[in-house]
Amino acid sequence: MAAFVPPGAHRPGGNNSNQSPSAQQHPPPPNFGNSPAALADNLQNMNLNRPHSAPRPSPFSQPPPPYSFSGPSPGYRPGSQLMARPGPSPPNAITRPMGPPSGALPGVAPGRPMAPPGTRPPPPGSLPSSMGSHMGLSPRAPAFTGGQATAPPPPGVSPRPLTTGILTPPPPGPTQAGPVSNGPPVGSGPRFGSPGGMSSSVPPPTGPSSPSAPAQVPSMGPFMTGPPPTSMPAAPPFSGQPPFSAQPPFSGQPPFSVPPPPAMGPPQGSPFAAQPWQMRPDQMVRPPSGPGSAQPPQMYGMPAHLPNQSMTSISPGMAPTGASVGGPSKIDPNQIPRPIPSSAVILHETRQSDQANPPPPATSDYIVSDTGNCSPRYMRCTINQIPCTADLLATSGMQLALLVQPLALPHPSEEPIQVVDFGETGPVRCSRCKGYLNPFMRFIDQGKKFICNLCGFTDETPRDYHCNLGPDGRRRDANERPELCRGSVEFVATKEYMIREPMPAVYFFLIDVSMNAMQIGATAAACSAISQVIADLPEGPRTMVGIATFDSTIHFYHLKRALQQPLMLVVPDIQDVYTPLQSDVIVPLSECRQHLELLLESIPTMFQNNRTAESAFGAAIKAAFLAMKSTGGKLLVFQSVLLSVGIGALSAREAEGRTNISAGEKEAHKLLQPADKTLKTMAIEFAEYQVCVDVFLTTQSYIDIASISVVPRTTGGQVYYYHPFSVLSDTAKLYNDLRWNITRPQGFEAVMRVRCSQGIQVQEYLGNFCKRIPTDIDLAGIDCDKTIMVTLKHDDKLPDGSEFAFQCALLYTTLYGQRRIRVTNLSLSVTSMLSSLFRVADLDAQFTCLLKQAAMDIPSSPLVQVREQPVNTCINILLSYRKFCATVSSSGQLILPEALKLLPLYTLALIKSTGLRPDGKIDDRSFWINYVSSISTPLAIPLVYPRMIPIHDLKTREEEGSIVPSSIPLSSEHISDGGIYLLENGDDALIYVGGSVDSGILQQLFGASTVEEIPSQFVLQQYDNPVSKKLNEVVNEIRRQRCSYLRLRLCKKGDPSGMLFFSQLVEDKNHGSMSYVEFLVHIHRQIQTRMT
Amino acid sequence: MAAMDPEGIDGVRMTWNVWPRTKVEASKCVIPLAASIAPLRPHQDIPTLPYAPLRCKCSAVLNPCASVDYTGKLWICPFCFNRSHFPPHYSMISETNLPGELYPHYTTVQYAIPSSPLQPQSFDGSPPNSHPPVFMFVLDTCMIEEELGFAKSALKQAVGLLPENALVGFVSYGTQVQVHELGFSELSKVYVFRGSKEISKEQVMEQLGLAVSGRRAAGAPGLQKGAVQNGFPGSHSGVTRFLLPASECEYTLDSVLDELQTDQWPVAPGNRQSRCTGVALSVAAGLLGACLPGTGARIVALVGGPCTEGPGTIVSKDMSDPVRSHKDLDKDAAPFFKKAVKFYDGLAKQLVSQGHVLDLFASALDQVGIAEMKVAVERTGGLVVLSESFGHSVFKDSFRRVFEDGEQSLGLCFNGTLEIICSKDIKIQGILGPCTSLEQKGPAVSDTIIGEGGTTAWKMCGIDKSTCLTVLFDLSTSDKTSTSGTVNPQLYLQFRTSYQNPDGQTMLRVTTVTRRWIDSALSSEDLLQGFDQETAAVVMARITSYKMETEDGFDATRWLDRSLIRVCSKFGDYRKDDPASFTLNPSLSLFPQFMFNLRRSQFVQVFNNSPDETAYFRMLLNRENISNAAVMIQPSLISYSFNSLPQPALLDVASIAADKILLLDSYFSIVIFHGMTIAQWRNMGYHNEPEYQAFKQLLQAPQDDAQMIIRERFPVPRLVVCDQHGSQARFLLAKLNPSATYSNAHEMAAGSDVIFTDDVSLQVFIEHLQKLAVQS
Repeated sequence: MAAFVPPGAHRPGGNNSNQSPSAQQHPPPPNFGNSPAALADNLQNMNLNRPHSAPRPSPFSQPPPPYSFSGPSPGYRPGSQLMARPGPSPPNAITRPMGPPSGALPGVAPGRPMAPPGTRPPPPGSLPSSMGSHMGLSPRAPAFTGGQATAPPPPGVSPRPLTTGILTPPPPGPTQAGPVSNGPPVGSGPRFGSPGGMSSSVPPPTGPSSPSAPAQVPSMGPFMTGPPPTSMPAAPPFSGQPPFSAQPPFSGQPPFSVPPPPAMGPPQGSPFAAQPWQMRPDQMVRPPSGPGSAQPPQMYGMPAHLPNQSMTSISPGMAPTGASVGGPSKIDPNQIPRPIPSSAVILHETRQSDQANPPPPATSDYIVSDTGNCSPRYMRCTINQIPCTADLLATSGMQLALLVQPLALPHPSEEPIQVVDFGETGPVRCSRCKGYLNPFMRFIDQGKKFICNLCGFTDETPRDYHCNLGPDGRRRDANERPELCRGSVEFVATKEYMIREPMPAVYFFLIDVSMNAMQIGATAAACSAISQVIADLPEGPRTMVGIATFDSTIHFYHLKRALQQPLMLVVPDIQDVYTPLQSDVIVPLSECRQHLELLLESIPTMFQNNRTAESAFGAAIKAAFLAMKSTGGKLLVFQSVLLSVGIGALSAREAEGRTNISAGEKEAHKLLQPADKTLKTMAIEFAEYQVCVDVFLTTQSYIDIASISVVPRTTGGQVYYYHPFSVLSDTAKLYNDLRWNITRPQGFEAVMRVRCSQGIQVQEYLGNFCKRIPTDIDLAGIDCDKTIMVTLKHDDKLPDGSEFAFQCALLYTTLYGQRRIRVTNLSLSVTSMLSSLFRVADLDAQFTCLLKQAAMDIPSSPLVQVREQPVNTCINILLSYRKFCATVSSSGQLILPEALKLLPLYTLALIKSTGLRPDGKIDDRSFWINYVSSISTPLAIPLVYPRMIPIHDLKTREEEGSIVPSSIPLSSEHISDGGIYLLENGDDALIYVGGSVDSGILQQLFGASTVEEIPSQFVLQQYDNPVSKKLNEVVNEIRRQRCSYLRLRLCKKGDPSGMLFFSQLVEDKNHGSMSYVEFLVHIHRQIQTRMT
Repeated sequence: MAAMDPEGIDGVRMTWNVWPRTKVEASKCVIPLAASIAPLRPHQDIPTLPYAPLRCKCSAVLNPCASVDYTGKLWICPFCFNRSHFPPHYSMISETNLPGELYPHYTTVQYAIPSSPLQPQSFDGSPPNSHPPVFMFVLDTCMIEEELGFAKSALKQAVGLLPENALVGFVSYGTQVQVHELGFSELSKVYVFRGSKEISKEQVMEQLGLAVSGRRAAGAPGLQKGAVQNGFPGSHSGVTRFLLPASECEYTLDSVLDELQTDQWPVAPGNRQSRCTGVALSVAAGLLGACLPGTGARIVALVGGPCTEGPGTIVSKDMSDPVRSHKDLDKDAAPFFKKAVKFYDGLAKQLVSQGHVLDLFASALDQVGIAEMKVAVERTGGLVVLSESFGHSVFKDSFRRVFEDGEQSLGLCFNGTLEIICSKDIKIQGILGPCTSLEQKGPAVSDTIIGEGGTTAWKMCGIDKSTCLTVLFDLSTSDKTSTSGTVNPQLYLQFRTSYQNPDGQTMLRVTTVTRRWIDSALSSEDLLQGFDQETAAVVMARITSYKMETEDGFDATRWLDRSLIRVCSKFGDYRKDDPASFTLNPSLSLFPQFMFNLRRSQFVQVFNNSPDETAYFRMLLNRENISNAAVMIQPSLISYSFNSLPQPALLDVASIAADKILLLDSYFSIVIFHGMTIAQWRNMGYHNEPEYQAFKQLLQAPQDDAQMIIRERFPVPRLVVCDQHGSQARFLLAKLNPSATYSNAHEMAAGSDVIFTDDVSLQVFIEHLQKLAVQS
């Protein structure tokens, strides 16, 4: 999908021409770039307008173009150049801590503010998701450039400085592994952003970037230094870091930073750890923030925890936390590991020195330069080196798996994936394993033959592809041919890859018009959303549209132009459905635009008095499927009530489960399983005919997501859940979700396979797809948000030191009917060292796997077991590290591998998450399970460990430079009764208003003078004051980052909504489970027990 | 066409007007005891009484044949001899003050049953009265544009002709069935049913959201509101959704029709269109059943081809399979036939139980399956018209006639129920004609069943002025002549028909007839005096048709011949073994010729027709009155010439003359045949010249007469105008007695004609008959 290329991105290659031209020139639909922007804009508008009047207004259309285009593209280039630099710096690669930290820190501070601030702001509300990323890009791009060149990006002033700062740091980073790692923190920073991060960010601007960087590092340093033996050379830098801590002071910012700063002020290394923080506590709850800031650098794998002094002695990799013995009391809550927000953009080269370069954290803001391995956005491995034997892997306690997100949105500054057209012969492949040509296939015999890196077979080079080898043993044309030098390329598929003409883009909308749907306004909201989204459908004669409504019958609409008005065709047989017309139910968009609009307008009135309460969802999707069967396509269903009649009818088993508690206890998880196989069977058929189903559940009652979600899951679709649906607050989200659903990069009728070098096999694929043969997965639809987890297993011993390759090939059809094969390659080195494994473990990927597995187990196992599983995994990993890798230390210390030091926190958060909480509503849990099944790595962490930011003092921090203020730990200690907090997890957002908030602030933010006056059906409005504007900016920025519009809910202290908010504070002791500190102690004890 | 009115006020004609006493005697008469009744035949003398009838315990209604004791204020029922007291409101009765039903010449009276809510359901379970008529149009869309256009305009015209309050519904179909919800105002809305799947009434109701007790209704309390409006208690919202008064939905229906396209589903080359007539009809029936059970409603189906999809299929979609022929049916080589008949039989049962009618208007060059659908049409008393095209006048004019008001109106009535009560010893075998047995057992039910039998009550969902039924009687085997014979020399039959007239009024018509018993052993002469040749011929034709359809390997010709010979043997005057001495009583003299023509008619010689045509002919044969039916068997021929007034001519090829014009009325078609000379003159345009006015008049006269016939007839006959030796002349020649064939052409007079056939002529036939009749 050239088309998918990031919005702003230029398609360099001629290949892309088809799409890119359009993309660039026509702002409207085709390009993501544009569309994203557009989205963004729309969102904005939505936001603004929402409250007041109908969402529809034209407003949307306007803004988009500006952004995406101009912004991004310019940005890119500069960016790329910059990128180059980092390369050189790499030299020192070794110490991750070092480089990165320094870089990161500075970066962080700036980073946050950085890209987003400048660029993002523009898009404001607009693009939720897609945009977000894109937007982000453009902004970022600027950031880079800014650093070096003029301040291209319009971004805020602050940003530049920051950026510059950032940039500079990276270079250092690169030198050592450290930098890389740091990078991530930056990115991640924003999401989780610990307060510290925030504060630090601010400061950066002020001070020279470099200094700041060091400062932070330092904090880390202490830890680092000790341990790093392996690759940690960076140690020295750390020491330098103290400056960091210093930074915090700089920031001096209000709440957060403040605490640390003061203490920190003296940034010097030693102080950091213990003293500063503890001291700090004074003002804000925050004190931790200080530490936080320090932490960020650590994210990577760096040492850096504040831990006790003892820590220092610890090996670099570890971040010991409080001593166990003493019990919680001895642990300083401010020093325990927490995600460190970082805002700096990290430049990441996928391979350096002919070795895979461990990727930055998934949540960080980074720009990838594809130097042979694919970008980690497309494919991540849980461990960035491959254990040579299954035993070694087992010993580590870790899991080996890939997270593949083949159409992931790239950073706008990244070079787009190049499209390679081999003409009629098609791409060169290994004749044995059918692996695609990639940079790791070795050409021999003057280039006449090549050896497959996957199966080891030697093939003849096709004559017209022959090229001589250079002195380095590589083909002379290797650098000109993307397939020989890039980890990700896209091949144009030939006829061989098609069993029919590539399918057209078909969109079928199916809307619930039952009594309930009408009454809660869901139908009107859906119609309005669809009607607005029509403009975003891909232009062209091949775009087809159909629409149907349903209650206890299914109503199709004959949209053919000749008719005076649409004709409604009712299919009443909901046990055995059929399509009411052979043609004309789905017609080319260009022929039915007017009818469609008219119809969407009249549907809400037409069914206004509908008294049919039943819903034949199953029959309706089946009927729609029959209409789409000949082409395949996207089926978008808006459903509001439980499927109660016709095919696959369900019962309200949640209620049954409740009344039947005694029996329910043991069987509770059965409610999370599909009620029967009907829908599954149907879904498999849908998938076979390339129909991808997305379900928008706008409901106020139990709808049995467990059963319904089978359909989207099997067909590569998605479930959207609006519960309890509110016209007021959810209409805008519905529209934006729908819009993103349609405009995001995506493909149809796809098939995916992952190939591995010999010695390891793909064990299982997990995600939203249909599997008919063991090796491949079929995806009726695949989009940029979908991630597939691939578990691996050894079937042989691998030679130590060799390279091991993974190749993911995705054959799909673009929106515009081109057949493409996207190939992403990842080659990692094989190791026999356990410590190496820990060093290069990818926390985000590991945790994502843990999360997905837990989600998968929920419906089939008793909850107690499911909750134990991740904890055991966590303990096993730490135990293994402690046993085999940690250098001597007192048994009283909990020692964490640097790379995985947040594992306990995330594990704790996981067992407190919606899905694993025993008190959750069935549908909420089902939705959660379903959401997790395809969740991408960058979104996995916020889902369980949301980002919380204070928003009552936005104004005072204006100078910060980062749009999104740094986050604070999820602990009630950090909540003040006079504060207002925003907590978001990438899908939902809660705004908590304390009990004694200054009425001035309330007035400014909510237009109400007391908490009580704020309507509980909350809609974020923008008032004419800087604080409100700022808040909107922040929210829009988050939307962009998350590619999601976020459901905003208001929580007030003292009522159930307030409880909801506090239940999200995972570090607290709640849900009947441990607080973070207790949990660490628990783990520590377990490890101690098992050690002995 | 008899100028007289042989049926009189009663509309009853019998084969025998004096009855033999015993079963044995009756069987010797050869021609069965039968009555042809036209229950609603209008007659100016029939009084309408605005009150409910007075009934005897045996259910017989008070009639002129009852003996009345004016002083005792009681009456004796002629059927059961029971005495009943007059009720109080008859207290004024006296010899000079008789209620209408007792006037001796009012053997037929009509009661307009007052609509009283308290009145218990009338005996047949028909609902309270005063319902507007209901028309559910079912239109086939598997046709070429042009045909569909004709059909649509016919429909529009029909809707325009309907009374304003008539309820109208519309269903179109092709591959699938589309039920149009005319009451949905936002946009055109149709319910689509798959054509390939049989659907029960309950499913139709459920799926159209009309189920009473379904869960949907439970969730839709508002829906019940519409129930009582329009005076349809017990009915559903369906009345306001799918059936609307013509005045309200005419515009909607017009626009629906305007937008209606021919069926859009693809047809593979070499295949027939996929047409689900069966499902369409059952959906229409289900809808009516859900909305208006028990009220008068008709499904008016316009069918343009054979059903090829789903239940009721009569032929495969593959064009290389021809639609079944009589030969196929004979050889059991029609794979769909039995199944389809069974399906339509089920549909008929459903419609009858709902009291609804199926009218079939089939227009196609090929067959459409009337043979299979016959059962549903006939049992419900529906109308049927077969033509070649919706643009043809046979269809257009007939269709219009159905909806026209006034003098020519068909007088379509609904929900008829016929009950027959007869004197002791008389048994009813059954009825041939458009009705359904209600399975009401009684002592008067014969063990032998012919047609719709085993009952004394019949349902006629649709009934009109011309509807005619043939009742076949039997005598009880018990030979108790002495007892009953002495008591009463008269036999009585009472026919009671209740129905809903076009205005929605519930009516009851009572006809009481009496005939004389005779001891035929004594005098066959007397018996013969009561013989009705025409009726006998028609009854024989109906029985023959019935037997041909129901009895395997029935040899109609042989059976007719033997019957005729037996009749002649019994009633002819002759000396044994002397054919020349054979003569027939005048009251029997025409019968052999009727039989001769019947043997040659389309009813017996089916192989010249398709099964559809045969079914069509037979349905009309069974429902028309005796005169018309007789014309079907033996057409009438009128000759026009300069020399004389128009006069009936012999149905013989000898009647053809070069200077004559012949008008043949064979019921289904009317042929105007110009002799060669006439044709030449006409072609030269003489009639346009003033001095040849007489010629012009001569040309015009048969035209006028033909139009007169056409105007009165339903279905409208096909008019064929032809010239001697022209290709169309075959329509005439086929009906003539081939007295002159190529074998004896030399004997013929000039200007006459010959028929190229090997069929025997009437003369030869009679000769043989005489020979056989006199054989000892």
